[in-house]
Amino acid sequence: MISLLFASLGEVLHLKFLIPLALGTWAGMIGGAIPGVTITMTIILVLPFTFGLDPLQGLATMTGVYVGGCAGGLVSASLLGIPGTPSAIATTFDGFPMARKGEPGRAVWLGTWASVFGGLLGAAFLIGATGPLAAFALEFGPWEYFSLFIFALSMVAGLTEASLLKGLLSGAIGLIVTVIGSDPIMAVPRLTLGTEFLRSGFQFLPVLIGIFAFAQIMTDLERMGGNVAPPRVEAPSLAVSHLSVIREILSRPFLLLWSTLIGVWIGVLPAIGGSAANVMAYDQAKKFSKRPEKFGTGIPEGVIASESSNNANVGGSLVTIMAFGIPGDAVTAVMLGAMIIHGIQPGPLFISQEPRVAYGIFAAYLVAHPVMLVLQWLGARFYLRVVQVPKSVLIPVVLVLCTVGAYALNNIIENVYVLLIFGVLGYLLVKFRFPLAPLILGVILGDQIEVNLVRALMTDADPWLFLTRPLSGGMLLASVASVGLALWQHRRQQRMGAAAKAGAPDTDF
Amino acid sequence: MLSRDGAAGLVCLGGSLWFLVATRGLPHPALVPIGPAFYPRILLTITALLSAALVVADLVRRRGAARRAPVRYGLVLLTFAIFGVYVALLPPLGYRVATFLFVGGLQAALERPRGARWWRVLAVALVTTVATYYAFEGYLSVLLPRGRLTGF
Repeated sequence: MISLLFASLGEVLHLKFLIPLALGTWAGMIGGAIPGVTITMTIILVLPFTFGLDPLQGLATMTGVYVGGCAGGLVSASLLGIPGTPSAIATTFDGFPMARKGEPGRAVWLGTWASVFGGLLGAAFLIGATGPLAAFALEFGPWEYFSLFIFALSMVAGLTEASLLKGLLSGAIGLIVTVIGSDPIMAVPRLTLGTEFLRSGFQFLPVLIGIFAFAQIMTDLERMGGNVAPPRVEAPSLAVSHLSVIREILSRPFLLLWSTLIGVWIGVLPAIGGSAANVMAYDQAKKFSKRPEKFGTGIPEGVIASESSNNANVGGSLVTIMAFGIPGDAVTAVMLGAMIIHGIQPGPLFISQEPRVAYGIFAAYLVAHPVMLVLQWLGARFYLRVVQVPKSVLIPVVLVLCTVGAYALNNIIENVYVLLIFGVLGYLLVKFRFPLAPLILGVILGDQIEVNLVRALMTDADPWLFLTRPLSGGMLLASVASVGLALWQHRRQQRMGAAAKAGAPDTDF
Repeated sequence: MLSRDGAAGLVCLGGSLWFLVATRGLPHPALVPIGPAFYPRILLTITALLSAALVVADLVRRRGAARRAPVRYGLVLLTFAIFGVYVALLPPLGYRVATFLFVGGLQAALERPRGARWWRVLAVALVTTVATYYAFEGYLSVLLPRGRLTGF
C-alpha cells in the first residue's frame, strides 16, 4: 500500500498531472470564493475541460477543485463576511470579526493552515480506511447493494430541511429520470414519448448541470433583483507570520483532531455534507471551550474548528464514494458522476481493479493541499477581486460554460435542449421548495438501483431475501428508521417552530 | 385552497399516473420473470402515493398568517427567455456567433450598459467566445456547433 502510494505521489508530482491538479485547485478556490457559485457548480463547470484528458489527469483536476473549493470559501467568509460556499458558513462567525478587528491576514491564514492540517488528517483516514471498507463491501450481493443505495437515498431525502415528503418525492423524480430510455433487460424503450433521442435515456451530466446550475443562478438573480453589481471592497494586506499561525493551530491539538474527526465522520455518512460538518465542529468547539462566550467575537478556535472540519469532510466523503460507490450529497454526487464520465466505476472493486487510478486520487488529494497553500499565498487578494466581478458578467459566462459542458459530452445539440428543460425543472422545483440533493442522488444512483434489483430477483425470485439477508435487511431497516426519525424530527420542529413560522414567506398562490 | 405544496403534489400525481398508464404498452418477456415495466411500475406507484400524500398533507395543514416575500421574477424570466433564444440559435448561427450575441445580450439585459460600459459588454462577449472556442476546439478536441446559415 505504502509503495503504491509513493509511486502514485511520484506520478502526480509529474507536470503532466501537477498542472491539471493545480489548475483545478485554482478554479476551485475561485469558484469557492464567489458567493453563489458553490463547489458543486465549480465541479460541474470544470468537468467538461477534463473530457479529453487521461482519467487520472481528469480526476486529479476534479480532486483539486473539490479541495480548492473548500479553501476558497474561507476568503470571502473571512474578508467579506459572506461564505463563498455552505461549507464556510461557520468560518464567518469568527473569521469575519477577526478581519474587522484589523487581522484579516490572521483570519485567512488560520483558516488556510487549518484546512491543510484537517485535509491531511482526512487524507490519512481516506488512505487507511478505503481499502478495508472496500474489502468489506466485496461481501455484498445485489440485495445488499440495492439496500445500500435505498439507505443512502432515504438518508438524503429524510435529512433535508424541507418536508420529508418532498425529499422522498424529489428522490423518486430523480429515479424516474433514469427509467426513461431503454430498459436493462430487453433494451425496450420505456417512457420515451416516441422520441428517438430518448431511447438511450438522459445523460446525467446535462441533467445535473441543468438542475443545479439554473436553480442556483436563477434564485441568485431573483434575490438580487436589479442590483447585480457587488459592493466595492478594498483588498486588505494579508501579511502574517506563518510560523505563529501554525503554532496557534498546533497548540490546540484536541480542537484540531476533534474537528477533523467530526468532518471525516460526517463525510462518511451519506446525506449530511460539508455545510453541516463545519457548523457542527464549530458548535462542538464552543461546547468544549473554556471561554464559549468569546465565540463569535473573532477567536482562532472558531476558524480552526470550521476550516479543519470542512476539508477533512472531503476525505471522508471520498471514502464513501471510492469504497461503496455511493455519494453522500450533491457535491459528491457530481464527483461520482465525474469519475463515471472518465470511465471509472467506483465501488468495492475499484481499488483492486484500478489501483493506479485509486492511489492516484489519494496522491492527488494529498498534493492538492500544499498546492492550495501556495495558490492561496499567491492569490488570496486576487480571489477577493474575482468575488467582486459583477453578476451581469459572471452569469452569461457561467451559462456558456454550462452549455458547452452539456454539448461536449457527446457533441450533440440535444444535450443542450436537455440542459434547458432540466434548468426550467430545477428552478421550478426550487420554487416549490423541493430539495435538489435527493433528486441528484436519484439521477446518479437510479440505474444501479434498478440493475441490482433486477439482478437480485433474477438470481432468486424470493423478494424476502432483501429482508432476511442480515446486511440487506439491516440497511433496509435503517432506511425505515431514518425516515421515521426524520418524520419525528419534522413533527417536533413544526410544533416548536409554529410561532416563529408565522412571519415566514407565504407559499400560497 | 391548495398551496404550492398541494399544487406540486397534484402535478407529480398526474405525471406519475400518466407514466404508469404508459407502462401498460411495455412487453412482458416469456423467458424471464421480470420485464421492462417491473421497476418503473413500482417506482411510479411509490411516486403517485407520495404525491397524493403531499396533496392530503397540504389540505389538512393549518396555515398561519403569512406574508409574501418580495421576489422579482422579471430578470429570471428574461434570462430564461434569452437562454432559450441562444439554444434555438445555436444550430442555425453556430457556436461563435450565437455565443457572442448571447453573452452580449444577457449582460445588457441584466445591467443596462451606459457609455463606456458598452465596451466592457462587447469585450466580455468577445473574450468568452474566443477563449471557450479555442479551449474546447484547439485544446480539448471538442467540435463546437457549426451554423447551418453561417457555415462556421
